[in-house]
Amino acid sequence: MNLNKLIVLSRSVKLGRNVFAARDCLHHFQSRRSIRSSARSLAYAKDLFLGKVNKAEVFPYPEISNEELEEINQLVQPVEKFFNEDVDSMKIDHEAVIPPETLNGLKELGLFGIQIPEEYGGLGLSNTMYARLGEITSLDGAIAVTLAAHQAIGLKGILIAGNDAQKAKYLPKLATGENVAAFCLTEPGSGSDAASIQTRATLTEDGKHFLLNGTKFWISNGGWADIMTVFARTEVVDKDGQKKDKITAFIVERAFGGVTSGKPEDKLGIRGSNTCEVTFEDTKVPIENVIGEVGGGFKVAMNILNNGRFSMGSAGAGMIKRLIELTSEYACTRKQFNRSLSEFGMIQDKFATMTLNAFVMESMAYLTAGMMDRPGVPDCSLEAAMVKVFSSEGSWICVSEALQVLGGLGFTKNYPYERYLRDCRILQIFEGTNEILRMYIALTGMQYAGKILTGKIKELKKGNVGVVFEILGKKLKDSVVRTVDFGLTGKDGVVHPSLTESAKMFEQNAAHFGSTVESLLYRYGKTIVEEQLVLKKVADVLINLYAMTAVLSRSSRSISIGLRNHDHEVLLTNTFCKDAHFKNNYLLTQLQKNSPENNDANIKKIAQDVLAKRAYICSHPLDRTF
Amino acid sequence: MIGPRHLLRIQCIGCVARFLGTPVQRLILPAGTHLQTPGSQHNYGQLLRPLHCSAVCSTSRPSQTRLEKTVEDETLNKDKSLVTHDDLFERAARDSKTKADFNRVVDVFNKKDIRRRGHVEFIYAALKKMPQFGVERDIAVYNKLLDVFPKEVFVPRNFIQRMFNHYPRQQECGVQLLEQMENYGIMPNVETKVLLAQIFGEKSHPMRKYQRIMYWFPKFKHANPFPVPHVLLSDPVELARFSLTRIADDLDAKITIYQYPSTDITETGEEVMRPHILGIQSPDQRSLLAKHNPCRPVFVEGPFPLWLRKTCVHYYLLRADPIPPEEKVEEEFDPEMIGPEQSLFYPQRVELDLERDMGDDFSFDVDNVEEGPVYAMCMAGQGDQATLSQWISGLQETCPILGQIPTVFRLESGPRELQTSSDAQQTPEQEVEMEQIIEEEPLHSQRVKQ
Repeated sequence: MNLNKLIVLSRSVKLGRNVFAARDCLHHFQSRRSIRSSARSLAYAKDLFLGKVNKAEVFPYPEISNEELEEINQLVQPVEKFFNEDVDSMKIDHEAVIPPETLNGLKELGLFGIQIPEEYGGLGLSNTMYARLGEITSLDGAIAVTLAAHQAIGLKGILIAGNDAQKAKYLPKLATGENVAAFCLTEPGSGSDAASIQTRATLTEDGKHFLLNGTKFWISNGGWADIMTVFARTEVVDKDGQKKDKITAFIVERAFGGVTSGKPEDKLGIRGSNTCEVTFEDTKVPIENVIGEVGGGFKVAMNILNNGRFSMGSAGAGMIKRLIELTSEYACTRKQFNRSLSEFGMIQDKFATMTLNAFVMESMAYLTAGMMDRPGVPDCSLEAAMVKVFSSEGSWICVSEALQVLGGLGFTKNYPYERYLRDCRILQIFEGTNEILRMYIALTGMQYAGKILTGKIKELKKGNVGVVFEILGKKLKDSVVRTVDFGLTGKDGVVHPSLTESAKMFEQNAAHFGSTVESLLYRYGKTIVEEQLVLKKVADVLINLYAMTAVLSRSSRSISIGLRNHDHEVLLTNTFCKDAHFKNNYLLTQLQKNSPENNDANIKKIAQDVLAKRAYICSHPLDRTF
Repeated sequence: MIGPRHLLRIQCIGCVARFLGTPVQRLILPAGTHLQTPGSQHNYGQLLRPLHCSAVCSTSRPSQTRLEKTVEDETLNKDKSLVTHDDLFERAARDSKTKADFNRVVDVFNKKDIRRRGHVEFIYAALKKMPQFGVERDIAVYNKLLDVFPKEVFVPRNFIQRMFNHYPRQQECGVQLLEQMENYGIMPNVETKVLLAQIFGEKSHPMRKYQRIMYWFPKFKHANPFPVPHVLLSDPVELARFSLTRIADDLDAKITIYQYPSTDITETGEEVMRPHILGIQSPDQRSLLAKHNPCRPVFVEGPFPLWLRKTCVHYYLLRADPIPPEEKVEEEFDPEMIGPEQSLFYPQRVELDLERDMGDDFSFDVDNVEEGPVYAMCMAGQGDQATLSQWISGLQETCPILGQIPTVFRLESGPRELQTSSDAQQTPEQEVEMEQIIEEEPLHSQRVKQ
């Protein structure tokens, strides 16, 4: 990769200690970076860590062609009708099972093979269109999870890493829903701990089969899946001739034998979906059922998960849009103190929150989907993870607010709000918990920025006068002039002039973020991994920045092509950007050294005190000593 | 407690008395407090006394007459000897020394003379004898002793008295009493305060002492994060359980009782004591033991002492020598799984050639001394090899590898039996030591006062 070359080059250049040499090498870095940014690299979020805005990646907002739009609209209508008329979510939730006729209806609509290419009998839709359908399927959490477990993760392995024979053998039946797929990775001992995958596949003596042994936990569709993507340890001889355990992905049919499913888990939400334990006992898997290559399973798992997450944004938005319809009906008809609820400021606040969240989620989801649909091998895992984190948390807040609008009524089972609340709690947990994803977001960016900035920081640490002066000068200039310009606005701007103020706010944050990342790398180096509270803030800033980008891009397009109600979008964009700007400012201030706003040390101490005793340790307020 | 109400009432009386002067007291008090006999001014304190003495038992015993007689003898001989009150306690309770006996002596002294002649000496003597009667930690007894002081007499009545040290010997005695309470960690209660206020007045030295104690004692009450109860558990199994959990400060550590204490009678009719064996092991220790290299021996060592206040118990360790550096195996992780760019499990390291900046490195330079692992601990009723090997075989059930490891017993000939608390307290050395401490106190308290 071009990045590696860069590192090699920077090392080969012997960095001199005198001023001129240092200035020289700085020029090297800068010139090289500018070359890089002009090349198409498909790394918008990562570049933000360097304080760069790769505007070509995100402006203009991705569009689909008219034919595609027509196709999706034709698809959406019957699906919407089906969900409104034939799906009884309350019954599914109560009985904790999706009735077969509902499942058949879903199969007939082709929803089991949305992304499977048409040649294998699927709908062959793009990520963008998948996201669009996700808006509707999310109206019932159990169905959404069942479908996602089937195609977003269950069969994705065959789709992205399987060979033609595997695809031809399995995809047609999966596309029609005749076979249901599941994704078996998590194990009892390995929630988030890589080293503890215990399921093992051993090669039989004839070398044609693997014998699979082990237990998998929390498997969605585990009770009735016929085809499973299973990850297991296999012994691999690496290039040094040493035997090592590596993860390998297998396609396992239930028909292979030795597969047993446990009792379905009784869950808080998404109760209609089937989650259970799956045990493999000497399951004989033919060697041609290995996905990818032996020992390459981990990459497969990552690719499946990394790219499946974006759809949660549109799903969340779909749900919130429905909730807004339901609650606004109530708020406008319900009278209290001779005024309807909708006239109260605090109720209005809730609707604004819901609208903003839905708008931002939608914008982020479709921006990411659009980026993923571009030709080439896009790496949007960071963006997808951000969409997931933002939308899962936003959904939780919005559902809770919607419930609050109804007050006590919302708390009863007569209304769907409590079910939505329970269902959407899982969003923050599955497909990588939000904590892990925040770590991933922050550390991936740090790693990327670190590779490029290491040379410069090292010079600075060595006390190279030239570099120090250069940086001081730059800071001085920044503080005096205070204009950050990434070219979003102005003559060749990509943002519509009516959003100039928001764009400026974004630019300011982005620049500030870049310099913060640099100082964090300077301060922590590779030990940044241990600074989880710092990384959390970094991830939050980045998520806000990406959200700002998404809304800026989307509404600029809306204004420019004159979509209906684009003035409302401008309002939403400006509101969100202002809000996010100040949140970012606060977070970035907290990230400064010795910042009084930063409470991390205390937070850690509190937790340590409590965890050492494994209890709340304060004396009771009524206790006495004499 | 009805103490606070008393205090309030008495303080009112005090106020009124102070305002109106002494002669009026006689007029007011009977009406105000429903006291039966308006006596002389000197009796004022005594009139109130029933309020405070009510809690203290004053059972009449057959021996009382004899005791009273001794007391009278003592008072007659008073001029001849200085340590007479010591003898009083000795004589009063030759056979048994209990709280009741102690109280009886105090009652007798109280009743003997309405003027309480020689009360200071008596209190000093009583303080000294308290540990022998086992009442040194009893707040009621201290209050009863304090009650021996005549009331109101030592309260300064004018500014000159207040300016100078009014009745210094009595005040010092009061301070001494509080000092002893302090040394035994006894917190005075409201009754103490009421008594002090009655005896010495609001701004006397004993009152100051009381206030200081009440300032510091609550502050330090929970200073020890690992408190030991004053009265230890008598059951050796429970005591061992308490001690082991105290040493092994790991909430996951599990106690296993390998053998309950019991007595068997063999065929020959001999009684065989089977001592208790309790072990503690945490999951971490267990996994460490499972990884132990079977070629290297493990050692059973002990006994090591553990002091719980005045009781010493002994424990044994199962440990090994530190692992030599050449045998250490670094656990390797698949770089693919913990390295950067992975979102399934978060990246556990980043590949950067940058260290933490000095300004953000708050770690200390700690020179770690390598020690061998301790795999388990135990306490047993007997410290012989036979008993301890029972423990080891019990451990084998959870750690089968222990069967392949050579086990070396390195037992010192220490005390083989568990010392109970009563044993420990009655060793003469300790008693002497304790008395020394108490004897030193007067000097110390005088220094503090100045």
